[in-house]
Amino acid sequence: MHELSIALEVSRIAQDYVGRDQLRKVVQLGMDVGEEAGVEVSSLEFCLEAVLTQPPFHNVRVVIRSVSGDVLRLSYLETEDGRSKN
Amino acid sequence: MAVRRIDVRERVMAKNDELAAEVRRRLRHHGLCGFNLVSSPGSGKTLLLERTLEKLGERLSIAVVTGDVQTQNDADRLAKRTSRLVQAVVTGGACHLDARQIMKALDEIDLSKTDLLLIENVGNLVCPASWDLGETAKVVLFSVTEGEDKPVKYPKMFRESRYAILNKVDLLQHLDFDIDKAVSYAKETNPDLQFFFTSALTGEGMDEWYGFLEAFGAEAHI
Repeated sequence: MHELSIALEVSRIAQDYVGRDQLRKVVQLGMDVGEEAGVEVSSLEFCLEAVLTQPPFHNVRVVIRSVSGDVLRLSYLETEDGRSKN
Repeated sequence: MAVRRIDVRERVMAKNDELAAEVRRRLRHHGLCGFNLVSSPGSGKTLLLERTLEKLGERLSIAVVTGDVQTQNDADRLAKRTSRLVQAVVTGGACHLDARQIMKALDEIDLSKTDLLLIENVGNLVCPASWDLGETAKVVLFSVTEGEDKPVKYPKMFRESRYAILNKVDLLQHLDFDIDKAVSYAKETNPDLQFFFTSALTGEGMDEWYGFLEAFGAEAHI
């Protein structure tokens, strides 16, 4: 039930990176979710889809990796902006 | 087009935990303890708090923050038992309180004139376990009408709590509820849990709870 709050917080953190790195298009968002994090993964995916609808997240692919413990972390963003790595 | 990966590796709860640390700092500054009462709906949090305010209200200045998804019913009930203003947080759909809401509620409370902070979280045995409010400890309530296996069905909440209250023990004679089994399940999840066995309705077992709170309240501002 609190997956929407988590999705909004993920969006806030991701927006920070979008602003900082001037990202125009985010194609993938990766999260690590612990088995004991108290998070229903399918519900979190649904909420992230509902929250991340506007550019630069439009059509972003959400990839959630299940890990041990109670980890709950935004792991990475993948962007397609024509810039080479580093 | 080239895809570039940006490592983020940020904890989702980092902002909440930062605010919870600030709540904790403010409580410590005033020498206060704060207890976060968590349970499923209907286990008796509000009645337990009503009785607590009636019993201890004259000796301790207790500040109360209540959380509900909708309505201020619990806050209205508690307001009748205390001369202090009860801070009501209506979450508007959210299934838990968060540290930002507690921080805001504390802004309205004179902590220098407070001996103890009690927070009544939203009735829910899942979500509030994940949100640190800056409390001294979580106190998980469950009642004898709920089944002995609540602790193993909702392990995170029992793991995150330091104290457990098994409430409505006055109903035991009418139910097939095994207290030893319930405690054993809870200790399996968290061996350090300290138990209280209460009936907020009849007052059975409540003296231990009052004594526990009084000990923390008496230490305030020291």
